[in-house]
Formats: sequence, structure tokens, C-alpha cells
Amino acid sequence: MKMKKSLLLASLVSMSAFLFACNGGDDSASGEGNDVTLDFWVFGATNYEDLAEAYEEENPDVKINIKTSELEDHHNSLFTAISAGSGAPDLTMIEVDQLDRYREAQDRFTNLYDLGAEEIQDQYLDWKWNMAENQEGDFLFGLPTDIGPKAMYYHTEVFENADLPTDPDEVSELISSPEAFAEAAGAVLEATDKPMVDSMEMAFRANMDALEVSYFNRDGELVIEEEDGVKNAYDYAVELHEQGYVSDFEMWTPEWGDALNKGSFGVEMAPAWLKGYMTENAPEASGDWRVTTLPSQFAGNWGGSYVAIPGETEHSEEAYEFSKWLLSPENQMKSFTESGLFPSTPEVYEMEEFTSNSDEYFGGQNTAEYFAEAAEEIPEVYKGPKYVTVNNEVLTALRNVQEGGDPEQEWEEAVERIEGLLDR
Amino acid sequence: MSEHRMKRFKPGNVPAYILLAFASILSIFPFYWMFVMATQPSAAYNSVPPTLLPGGMLVENFLKVLDTIPFFQAMWNTILLCTSVTILVLIISSLSGFAFAKFSFPGKNFLFICILLTMVIPPQLGLIPQYYLISQLGWLDTLFGAGILFLLNPLGIFLMRQYISESVPDELIEAAKLDGCSNFRIYRSIVLPIIKPAFATLGIIVFTLVWGEFLWQFTVLRDPSSYTLQVALASLNNAFRVDFGMMLSGVFWATVPLIVIFLIFNKWFISSITEGSIK
Amino acid sequence: MENVEKQQYVSSSKASRMSEKKKDMLSGYLYVAPFFIIFGIIGLYPAVFSIVLAFQEWNGLGEMNFVGLRNFTVVLQDPLFWKSLYNTVIMGLMGTAPQLVVGLILAVFLNMAAIRFTNFFRVTIFMPYITSMVAVALVFGVFFSSNETALANYVMGWFGIDPVSWKTSEWGAKFAISLMVFWRWVGYNTIIYLAGLQSIPKHLYEAATIDGAGKVQQFIHITIPLLKPFILLTVFMSTVGALQLFAEPTVFLGSSAFTRDEAMTVVMYLYRDAFNLGSFGTASATAILLLVIIIGAAALNTWLTSGGGRRKKGA
Repeated sequence: MKMKKSLLLASLVSMSAFLFACNGGDDSASGEGNDVTLDFWVFGATNYEDLAEAYEEENPDVKINIKTSELEDHHNSLFTAISAGSGAPDLTMIEVDQLDRYREAQDRFTNLYDLGAEEIQDQYLDWKWNMAENQEGDFLFGLPTDIGPKAMYYHTEVFENADLPTDPDEVSELISSPEAFAEAAGAVLEATDKPMVDSMEMAFRANMDALEVSYFNRDGELVIEEEDGVKNAYDYAVELHEQGYVSDFEMWTPEWGDALNKGSFGVEMAPAWLKGYMTENAPEASGDWRVTTLPSQFAGNWGGSYVAIPGETEHSEEAYEFSKWLLSPENQMKSFTESGLFPSTPEVYEMEEFTSNSDEYFGGQNTAEYFAEAAEEIPEVYKGPKYVTVNNEVLTALRNVQEGGDPEQEWEEAVERIEGLLDR
Repeated sequence: MSEHRMKRFKPGNVPAYILLAFASILSIFPFYWMFVMATQPSAAYNSVPPTLLPGGMLVENFLKVLDTIPFFQAMWNTILLCTSVTILVLIISSLSGFAFAKFSFPGKNFLFICILLTMVIPPQLGLIPQYYLISQLGWLDTLFGAGILFLLNPLGIFLMRQYISESVPDELIEAAKLDGCSNFRIYRSIVLPIIKPAFATLGIIVFTLVWGEFLWQFTVLRDPSSYTLQVALASLNNAFRVDFGMMLSGVFWATVPLIVIFLIFNKWFISSITEGSIK
Repeated sequence: MENVEKQQYVSSSKASRMSEKKKDMLSGYLYVAPFFIIFGIIGLYPAVFSIVLAFQEWNGLGEMNFVGLRNFTVVLQDPLFWKSLYNTVIMGLMGTAPQLVVGLILAVFLNMAAIRFTNFFRVTIFMPYITSMVAVALVFGVFFSSNETALANYVMGWFGIDPVSWKTSEWGAKFAISLMVFWRWVGYNTIIYLAGLQSIPKHLYEAATIDGAGKVQQFIHITIPLLKPFILLTVFMSTVGALQLFAEPTVFLGSSAFTRDEAMTVVMYLYRDAFNLGSFGTASATAILLLVIIIGAAALNTWLTSGGGRRKKGA
């Protein structure tokens, strides 16, 4: 009896030691011969896994190891690795809003200009490329992946009921300025009792995403009170709210999804990536929505990424070659058709597959051309390392306004909070 | 076992049944809802009022999961990780718990307080230095790296100390010593059998903890072949193109094994020793 | 075979002349060593690192600058720190304290010989701890959405209470999160109490029944006193857990977790400092302040629970 127990115990201990140990052998395998293994961290829905496989076939000595995660988790673990100074991947995606955070840590990344990135600069949109440079313009953090040019998604039934046009070109002609947008919102409210915009955030973003200078200047100083862009965007959102044009559907919540599905508001101002969500999560609305160009004052970019090469890597050249290939116009075209990643290489917009694109969900419309049109009009913006946090304070103020707060007082309190935040 | 069959319904226990039933319904609801979502198309998540009845996509959603992530590989990794960590924690905790409960040695209380203090450090802040250590030690992408942090389990030592000092009579230990038993022998043949219920409790707590933990495993495991379930499931959660049916199907099937584990540990919950032998 | 072992044991003990006491000491150190060895490998460096950081200015990427006590003064002068401490304490009281009471009652019921289906109830009551946080967050998000048709508001409508904005109102957010904490951890404490109840010898109850003591009397005079070590344990654990509250509010509030102050906890406050504001110095300073608070609160609670100093002597 006792023998049995001690045997059991001994076997348990050795088993757990074995279980732990047997998984450690992976690393050694990658070092064989001249083979190079590239760790590549990716977030969101991409087709990079498939493309990497194709690349491996063409280049048998390169193996690409992709880790896909969700946006926030991805950037948190990237920050941890970069900060620890050890254990970063060979290649990583960085979302445009997160990029500024790493500007100070330029020394922990590979300068892509050193690897010859200048040669391919012409392929990409200028504003997108320039945003990945340092202030002096002699250091390039990453190669452009996708972009997020915003367009206007509008619900045809809502527009029809409000006696507004439903043809995309007629709509963009009518709604060609912020004032015209407000007017159309008035017509929608009167005829259908529906709000034009889903949330205060979207109403605010309309102008915000178009600002070249928002919270910070390029020296990192807060200019929220010196420059009036942010305050104007705030006032515009408040004004729409006071007219009753803004609802309180928070993005990604079930209520918001339901509203998209049922057409409970008139317009969503968003980039091409919203299409993927709508097709999957608002199936009943198939055929109801169309896409058109936003007024030029609202033309902005929302989202998109870069592929950067952390300085730790021992294979920067192989990594660069792969990213150059991955983000070439031909492959961006593939990423667009397979995963809806909107290309940052304008020559794609002329390609046959692109111009003949037709979206069943949008009643057969070629939505891509409207996004492409928007892509060329986007200003080069500077956001600054704490953009997201600072912006959140203003969004809080707007939400408070929606719940009955006084706009001016909320604004002042938000500015005060922002100044407190930056004083750390 | 025979005692179980003899249980008869007594009217006096009605309040207890009502409370237990009520608690059960509330406890099980989100799990049930997860099951419902796992059988529905993604759009069901957005329906107002909420969908409460299962649909017909149970298999379809799960196939999508299998198509997207290496589910069974990840489950195998998770089982390896959880089993190893749980066994090691049980051994470490019961040994130290035994020492703290029954031996006297200088600095005992001080050491015990040190152990409790380690619990007080907010884990969120240790991430960067811990990651640095693990990458320097070459333990990234290994289950060892993913597991080592969980071996520090002050609760386990605390629980074992309390349980052993309550339930293992000093006389029994002294008698064994007179018989010439070594301390380890006492641990093995006297303490271990008595503390089965505490093993069950700690075992299920640790197993579940490691099974569900995300942040550390996600940070350490970067190679898809080393992924545990939580890390693999995280890649299903993508706001721009979320498929709730698929995501919750993954989460649901990743949770079901825990119920089996619970039932395995459940057998140990009832102490055999306290029922008679100590008299 | 046993005799042989015994003889060997006796002779070896004679040879080394180790006294019983010394052997116990040695075993004691040996048995507690694994924890400290592992702590030395993976726990010590981060702990020291955090303490050092508290006196530095560091954004996680650049150089560190020594700033003395400045981080502490910044935090202590920040109204949001005090707000988050207040929130943490309030949600701790609302979410954690009832857990212990309800957990104890459930454990006693589950341990009663006369109750049937205990295996089933044990599983279901432990379910919330098993259920993935993703699902919990989605379910609570749906039920406690600010929408008027959301379940929580609908139920409140029966009692004539106006709909509440659960994520943005002062008490709405605290209540919803406390409920989530309570829901998630009751089963956990129940399981620990069940273990405690198993450590109580049954014959004590048999004797009490023969003496004519009722169920309630047995509970007060046998169960509670003998369960005290386990109650101490859960009180200690829950105090620490409550003051480190992080997962539930972050998950419930989602995108607005770090921007609003209604339910921001101290750990959320320090997390925001570190990872959103790039201020690891103030984050570490907050961690140290929190550490002191936790030690104080845990000591106080443990002392109160153990009956104000009339501690049971340790073995």
C-alpha cells in the first residue's frame, strides 16, 4: 500500500517535470543550416498567413512564423518586448495611432532607409509614407500596409423617406460641406424621426480625423487651446447633438450592431474595414446601405498600419525583403480582395480587379472607388504619443454633454484633466 | 456511497434547496448563454432583445473555429501546462504547509509573512521585468516559461497550513515519530491521505486559474505551436471582423473540459479520514 | 521490511547525533525552500525593479531619471488617485464582503448530509469561476447596457425605478461591477469553506446532537470556531483581491475603462499611468502606496476576524 503511494507520488513528480521539459525543444530546430526564421507579429484580420506561405515556397530558406492577435493585446505585448529590450519579433505590425509612442525609442528599430527603402517610396501614398518618418525625415520606422480612408455609408431607405437623393454621386454632391451635412440631418430627423449620426464620437471624429494639427504640435507640446481645430470639431458635435441629430449607439455594442442592421440612423462615417463587420453582423441590411464620398472637410484617415523591424533582429535584411514583397502593390491587391485591407499603393486603384469590383452587400455598387477617391485627399496628420489618452478625455466630455452636461464647462474640465495627465 | 442512497427529502430543508437552486441558476446562466451564442450566427449577438434559445449552428461554428486556430493542439498544450503546474503546486504547497503547520524552526513566522507579502505585489506591473527575465533565460515559447509564474502560489501554502494544522492531529505525528518514521515518510503516509479535500480544493482552483489566465501566457508564448487555448482563442476576437458565433463557440468548447476536471477533483472533496479514524 | 527501515533509521540517527529538533528544523527549511527558490528566480527581480522605479521617471522606453519622492507627491496630490481608492474600497465592501457570508452559507448547505444533489450544486456554484471572462463580459455587458430595454433596467422598471446608465453613472457602475465580482467569486470561497468544513471531525457533531444541541447551536459553537482558520484565510485573500480589483471593471467598462472615474480602481489607475500615459514612475509609486494600504487593511481585517487579538496559538 505504502509502496504504491510513493510510487504514485514519484511518478507524478517525474511526469510533471517531463511535461514541462518536453516542450522546450522548439528553439533549436530553427537554427539549422542557413535557414532563417522570421517572427512576425500581426493583428486583426489579414491574409498575411497565406501570403507568408507563398513567400516560403518561393524562398525555401526562409520560414515565417506569424503570431496573430487582437489590436490591443498585440500592441501591449509589443510594448512589453520593446521595453524589456529582449524578446521582440523580427517584424511587427504597428497601428498608425500607436506609432508615435515609439518615436522616442528610434534606436530600438531598424532604419528602413538604411536597407534601401527609398527605392520603393514612389509606390506608396505620400501622406502615409511621411507619417512613418522621424521629424528630420532621415529615419523610416515602417513600410505602409493598409490605410483607412473614410467615406460615408448611408442608409438608402432613410434617405428616401427624407426626400434626399439615393444615388451615390447625387448624395455627395448634395452633402458637400459640414453645413449641408447638418441640413440633410435635419431633413432625416423631420421625416423619419431618426438621428443622422450614431454617436457623439462619430460626430466629433468627422472633423477630427481631417485635422493636420490636433492636440500636439510636432515638438510634442499641447496646443489644444492655441489651435482651434479640436474645439471646432467639439462644437460641431455639440451643435449636431443640440439639434437632435446624434444618437447614443456606442460602436461595437450589440445596440449599435442592431441599429446598423435595422437602419436606425442615417449615416456612418467610416473606412472600408466597416464593410467586413457589416456583412457578417448586419446581414438583414444587405442592399440597404451605399457608400459615397464625404465632404472634403471631413476627409480623413482612420486606422491602417505599418510593418516595422525591431532593432534586436539578427535578420533585418531578410525581414526587409519579406516586408517589401508583402506590401508590394500586387500583394496589397490580394490583401484587399481577400481581407478588405485597403491598399496604400495608388497604382492598385487603377487595376482591373479594383475598378470592376462590385459589392453585393451594397447593391452591386463598386464601393472601392469612393474609398480610393478619399485616399488621395487625406492630409498628413501628426497625432503625438499620447493622442489616444488625450482624445478619450474629450470623448468623455462629449458623452457627458449628451447626458445633460454643459458643453463649455465640460470642455474646460476636459482641458484641465488633459493638462493634469501630461504633467507626469 | 450507501449513505447517499439513504438521503431522503425532508421538508425542513426546503429553504436550503431554494437557495441552492437559485444560486445554481444564476451561476450557470452566462455559461448557458455562451452555449446559445455558440449555436447561433454572429448577428444573433446583436439582436435586441437578446437571443435566449439555441440555434442550429453548433457544429458549423465549431468547424469554423477548427479552421481558424489549432484548437486541439492548443488544448493539448493547455492540458500539459495545467496538469504540470497543478501537480507541482500541490506538492510545493503541501510540503511548505506541512512545515509551517507542524514544525518549529527559527524565522518560521517571518518566512510565512514573506510568502503572504508576495501576494500583495500588483501583477500588472511586474510584466516588463518578468518578460525580460524569461527572454534572457531562453524560456519564451516554452510551457515552462508560461507556467513558472503560477508555481508561486501563496494561497496554496496558506490553505495547506490551515488545513494541516486543523486536521492532522499532533498525537498522530508524534506516534509516528516514536515508530521511527522520517518526516518525509510522515508527510507521505499520514499527511497526504488526510488532506485530500484540501488537495481537491487547491487543485481545482489552480487548474482553473491557469486554464483561464491570458495575459502572461499571451506574452510568453509567441509561436503558434506553443499556444495555449486562451492565447489561440484571442486571435478569434477581432473587432473589425468579429464573428461572435465562432468566437463563443471556441470559448465554450474551451470551457467544457474544465467541468470534467471539476468532476475528477470532486471525488476527493469528501474526506474519508475525518469521518472516523481520529477518535 | 518496515523493521529494516526502522533499524536503519535508528542507527543513522545515532550516528549523526541529530536531535529530533534539529531534524525538524532541517525538514522545515527544506520543505519551504521550493517556494523561495522559485521566487528568487522569477519574483524577486520584478519586485526590486518596481521599488526602484518608484523613485525614477521612466516612460518604458527611454532613459531613467532619478526624481526622489516626486512620484509620490504627484500621486498623493492627484484627486483621481483618491477617487480610485474610494471606488476600490466601496466596491470591495459591496462586492467582496457579502461573498464571504453567502459563500459560508452555501458551503454549510452543501456539506449537510441531508441535502441531495450536492455534486450537482457544487459544480454549478463553481461555474462562474470557470466561465471565461470573455463570456462573462459579454453577458454582463448585454444585461447592464444603458439601453432602456436592457434586462437590468427592465427588471428595475417593475419596481418603478428609472433606467440607469450602468456604465457611466456613479452608483450604477459600482453596483454592476460589485455584482459581477460577487457573482464570480462566491463559488470560489464556497469551495474553500467546503474544504474547511471537511477538516472538522464529524464526531463533534454527533456528540453535540446527543447532547441535544440544535443545528443553529451546532453552527455557532462548533462550525464557526473550527472554521476560523479558513475564515481568516478567505478574509485575507479577499481583502488583497478586493484592493487589487482590475479584471472585472476593465472588462465590464470596455473601451471607457480608463477614461472615466466612476469605477476606476487603484490598479486600473496605475495600469493607466504605466501603459497609457507612459509614466512608469508614478505607476510604481502607486503600487507601493497600494502595497502599504493592502498590508494595513489585511492585517486589520485578519485581526478583527480573529477576535481582536485572542488568537488561537499556532502549532
